[in-house]
Amino acid sequence: MSESIYGSHLKKLENVREELTEAVMLLRRKMAEENGMDPVEHCLSRIKSEDSMREKCRRKGIPEDEHSALEIIHDAVGLRVVTSFLRDVYAVRDMLVSLPSVEVIEEKDYIKKAKPNGYRSYHVILKCHGTVYAEVQIRTISQDTWAALEHHMKYKKAISGNTALIQEELKRCADELASTDISMQTLRDMILDQERT
Amino acid sequence: MKILLAEDTTDLNRVLTAALVHEGFEVDSAFDGEEALSLLEKNGYDLLILDIMMPKKDGIEVLREMRRLNNISPVLLLTAKSEVDDRVAGLDAGADDYLTKPFAMKELLARARAMTRRRREYSANDLAFGDITLHADSFELVGKNSIRLSVKEFELLQAFILQAGKPLTTSYLLEHVWQNVPGAMDDTVWLYVSYLRGKLEAVASQVTILGEKGGSYWLENGGAWQA
Repeated sequence: MSESIYGSHLKKLENVREELTEAVMLLRRKMAEENGMDPVEHCLSRIKSEDSMREKCRRKGIPEDEHSALEIIHDAVGLRVVTSFLRDVYAVRDMLVSLPSVEVIEEKDYIKKAKPNGYRSYHVILKCHGTVYAEVQIRTISQDTWAALEHHMKYKKAISGNTALIQEELKRCADELASTDISMQTLRDMILDQERT
Repeated sequence: MKILLAEDTTDLNRVLTAALVHEGFEVDSAFDGEEALSLLEKNGYDLLILDIMMPKKDGIEVLREMRRLNNISPVLLLTAKSEVDDRVAGLDAGADDYLTKPFAMKELLARARAMTRRRREYSANDLAFGDITLHADSFELVGKNSIRLSVKEFELLQAFILQAGKPLTTSYLLEHVWQNVPGAMDDTVWLYVSYLRGKLEAVASQVTILGEKGGSYWLENGGAWQA
């Protein structure tokens, strides 16, 4: 491989990644001070690897070049913010979309409308400083747990014939976890309510 | 619906079995108490029809034994006209109803239908209200999204849907959904109502539960509930 698919723009991508991570950090500090609790469990970020980006270009049938990597594909910069409670997902989302350097390109609320397989997460694609695209995924610990475990199962490659049953059961697990998320949020609201009165 | 019939008089047993089968029930016949008990061990039944006077073990002994083993299937006792004490003993031992011999076949069939009706109507029946469906076999609440409810959440929502629009008091809910179990209190009901409100919102439903803590609650289609 002679040259990076990102050309000379890697530094710019790194800056956006740092800027968004910093913004999340600031929100965490602010909310921890105001409510006594950090809303974020953890926050991961990455620049999509050379290999993954080229693979994605091939999958999409587009040329493996700078234009594809920076303009057509929108997740060269990726952030995953994992929150404790359901409402925190929206607090993080509200903060990000109101950043002055940021323009919202697309939002997908897979929490309000889960994917058919049960996947829940809030996805937002941002354009930062008018040039760099970044994809941010925001979800609760339970939603993240499900996504991680589902990813590890690799049942799609199995040819045991009971794929339909596995899919149905994975969706049931997702729906049960979603139910628990709401119960935990409800309990938290009730506790906060009692503290206030 | 499966019925276990225990009756030692061969002819009567045969006639009753035929009539019940004709009515659409699946019937296992036993001719004495021990046979009835061994069938009970092997199979589940939606209704038991037990004659009291039977060889080996009488109907009341069978009844006591099955209740001791936590079998809660409904039981209809068949008694002779003079056996008042038997009827009392039978009901006290956990029978749900009795019929005095001689009886009209019509009446026996009507009682069998009545005693299996509750299960037929409420088991595995999906309930719908407004834009939501509540699946009884999976405890799944479906609107624009789907979510799984806990047993109590399911039972509470079921109560609301079955009496939609009617205000249900907290004490009514404690009695009918919680069966007044020790520890259940006004706050418990309020918490579960709050859970359900969140879950209705999570499936993006227009249906809401209205009412204040400690008071009456009711289901409304399109009502606006604010936290």
